[in-house]
Amino acid sequence: MLGGVVFKLRDLGLMKLTGSMVIHVRGKGHLNRPRIRNPHWFLRKKLSNIGELTTSDNKVFINQLVRENYNEADVSNNLKVYEQNLMKTEASISSPSIVISQNRRCGTIARKIGEYPLWLNNGEKIRTTLLQIIDNHIISYIPPEKYSPAHYPNVKNVNKFGCLLVGAGTINPTWLTKEYCGIFHESRVMPKKMLARFLVSPEAALHPGTALNVAHYRVGEFVDVRGKTIDYGFQGVVKRFGFKGMPASHGVTKTHRRVGNIGGGGEKGRVWPGTKMPGRMGSRWRINKGLQVLRTYLKYNVMWVQGSAVPGPTGGIVYLYDTILPHRKKKISSIASLSYENIDKVTDDIWSEKLHRFKDIRMTHKNE
Amino acid sequence: MNQADVSKLMSQLRIAIRPRHRNLKNKDGPEGRLLKLRKTVTALVKHERIELFYNRADEARGYAELLISNAIRHGDTHNATMEMADYWLLEKQLVHKLFKVLVPRYENYTVSYTRMFNAPRTYPGIYYKNSVLELRGNPYPSLIVDQSQNKNLLHNVLLDEARKEYRRKKLAELAQ
Amino acid sequence: MNVSTRFLINRLGKQCAFNRIVTYSTKSTEHAAANAVETEKEPKIKETTASTASEASIPIRKPVIPANYRFIYPEFLPDPKIEWRNPIREKLERMDMLDRRRQIDLPEFYVGSIMAVTSSDPHAEGKVSRFVGICIHRDRCGLRARFILRNVIDHQGIEVIYELYDPTIQKVEVLRLEKRLDDSLFYLRDALPEYSTFDENMEAEQLEEGAPVPVNDIKVVLRPRPWLERWERQNLRGVANIDQYLKDKHRQSARRVQKPWEKYDLMKQYRATIPEEEQNEIFAEVYAELHAQELQRKRNKRKRTFVKPKQLA
Repeated sequence: MLGGVVFKLRDLGLMKLTGSMVIHVRGKGHLNRPRIRNPHWFLRKKLSNIGELTTSDNKVFINQLVRENYNEADVSNNLKVYEQNLMKTEASISSPSIVISQNRRCGTIARKIGEYPLWLNNGEKIRTTLLQIIDNHIISYIPPEKYSPAHYPNVKNVNKFGCLLVGAGTINPTWLTKEYCGIFHESRVMPKKMLARFLVSPEAALHPGTALNVAHYRVGEFVDVRGKTIDYGFQGVVKRFGFKGMPASHGVTKTHRRVGNIGGGGEKGRVWPGTKMPGRMGSRWRINKGLQVLRTYLKYNVMWVQGSAVPGPTGGIVYLYDTILPHRKKKISSIASLSYENIDKVTDDIWSEKLHRFKDIRMTHKNE
Repeated sequence: MNQADVSKLMSQLRIAIRPRHRNLKNKDGPEGRLLKLRKTVTALVKHERIELFYNRADEARGYAELLISNAIRHGDTHNATMEMADYWLLEKQLVHKLFKVLVPRYENYTVSYTRMFNAPRTYPGIYYKNSVLELRGNPYPSLIVDQSQNKNLLHNVLLDEARKEYRRKKLAELAQ
Repeated sequence: MNVSTRFLINRLGKQCAFNRIVTYSTKSTEHAAANAVETEKEPKIKETTASTASEASIPIRKPVIPANYRFIYPEFLPDPKIEWRNPIREKLERMDMLDRRRQIDLPEFYVGSIMAVTSSDPHAEGKVSRFVGICIHRDRCGLRARFILRNVIDHQGIEVIYELYDPTIQKVEVLRLEKRLDDSLFYLRDALPEYSTFDENMEAEQLEEGAPVPVNDIKVVLRPRPWLERWERQNLRGVANIDQYLKDKHRQSARRVQKPWEKYDLMKQYRATIPEEEQNEIFAEVYAELHAQELQRKRNKRKRTFVKPKQLA
């Protein structure tokens, strides 16, 4: 069993990173196999000492090495390469570039950078949230037959999907450990601050090193946004569940914002599971489904989605997926990387047709 | 708050600001908080280096920075600034120090006027973080030993060698 | 809020001799490059904002951006709440605001100015409504900026909240440009109606060019209690007869809620303002556009005031 795991690790390319690994072969290895098996990118990230004690000459030298290893031109080229980056997998050869709705595309990592209103063509004001896709790159791809996580995600037909590892955000590589930098060896991109894995169909798999930007989404599409909600700490029931509380006066003493009754007596004389009570509020992973992309701005990699209920604080990290809601899902021809081909044709700033552009002349309600 | 207050104009601080203040628990409420911080700011201007709990030092630091930056900005002929200095500095000779000593010292600074260090905690003792707050350019000896130029540290020796080798290799490549 | 990262970034910025201090580290290298390109396009403005005594060779010029811009265009300054700040969001918002300002003339106005707003309204006769009134309040920033107009029509007080950047607004006219003694005039709701009654067909009064905006020091007369708010607690300057309606208990309670120490709370003031360096940066970005619009407005005004002499006989 252990041997099997080791072979799997070798297949995943981990053996290259760790160099030599000593394998203790003992009997009954199946009994003490590791129960917790973290993904191979769960590694110690930051160095404890980030070079405060190095002399200035050596600091210059280190920076020079960094610039050579990850030359800026390479990285920025990666940002500009928009040709067909679809992987030539067996599945994609049989059905070229057309991806029907059953197939899953790669998601992206974004930052919520704020909210502001936009107006519709009929004069109605709507609230929008701005999400910035922070230099996303594909780090690696694990095909479905090799992808066997310790805990399978709750997805139908999970064994048909491969896994794309996506990184986002720049960080100084001299602060990072060697093993963490090793993750990025295959894709040849600068080490990233954040990593996330997305399940994708083999048809929609992308080459390591491909840049993902806001052109990945088109205006009018719907996305699911997953994020960690704002942490409000330990709160009472009035704030946490919107209980009414009790009156401020009329003889009420000491029970203005308290729970009140939490259950009956007799046979059911106990606190039922799930009773709403004071406790920790927020700081949970939540998915807000079916938000429409209303506007995209390629220069800053920003997209506007409808609504102000994107989970998390301003500046928080969210993960974007194509929506799974059946009626808002694109029916057909959601081509995985069509957006990369047409990049030269699209303009910088794309608005949904139902939005009123500020550049347009003023809006009037006409006589019918 | 949804619009910036435009009636006042202040210079940007060179220190990191917390989004919210600390209450600094005391029985007199927000006024008591200021009265408490007043003593700290006075002591800082007087002694130029003080050791105290981290929370209080961090709160007082912003006030000291703003007091100095306003003094630099408006000078000693500005009534509001003088009133502010009169409130924050309990010993009145320090008002002179602020305008006559500190303002000339910090006029051309591009970094913050104060520094903060973590200080060791007494053990066993109160479990609060200790810190040292000081004005820059004070006459005391420096608190930190600058090791950044120490060539004899092991990793510096190794890096030096690596650098030389790297240069040699580059030169060899150029020569070809 | 990651304080340590921000501190690091500040320190980095200083090392690179940037004037700018970025609050968040959202900026990738691409954006930095884009910014650099943009700043190169406006060398004149940048030079003036960055003009300090450090460079002796360049003669020190007065900054081009007028000091009163923060009063005229307060909505260009972002919300000072640190958690909500983001340089890219603010930049995009300013861009949209300028786009809107290119389509419609949004003149300078203050709380206390008398204005007329023409807006498209699906329920109005002719689909257009015009409302004349005094601006009693102005708040929010960015695209959310709004103001409240008040008038008394048929003995009924009417207030309308307008959003400054709402595209249904067709025209904003300032009929009388002036300020009042207070920052918001909600007390007009409790004043006698003649203080908030304005003629619907009022003509615009022209102010002399270059003259400072006059402050109208009128003191309004309040109606007797009950009031909508406890005006005695708000230290109003524009109210004449507030003492007439106060009893000792009101005075005492008003004294109790005063916060005289707040004027010494430097950090509170700092957290409520945008620092001068950031303001300069923001206005340097929008100055060229706003200034061009101001010049256009002046030209239009001159055209309007000039009456072509009639040829007699």
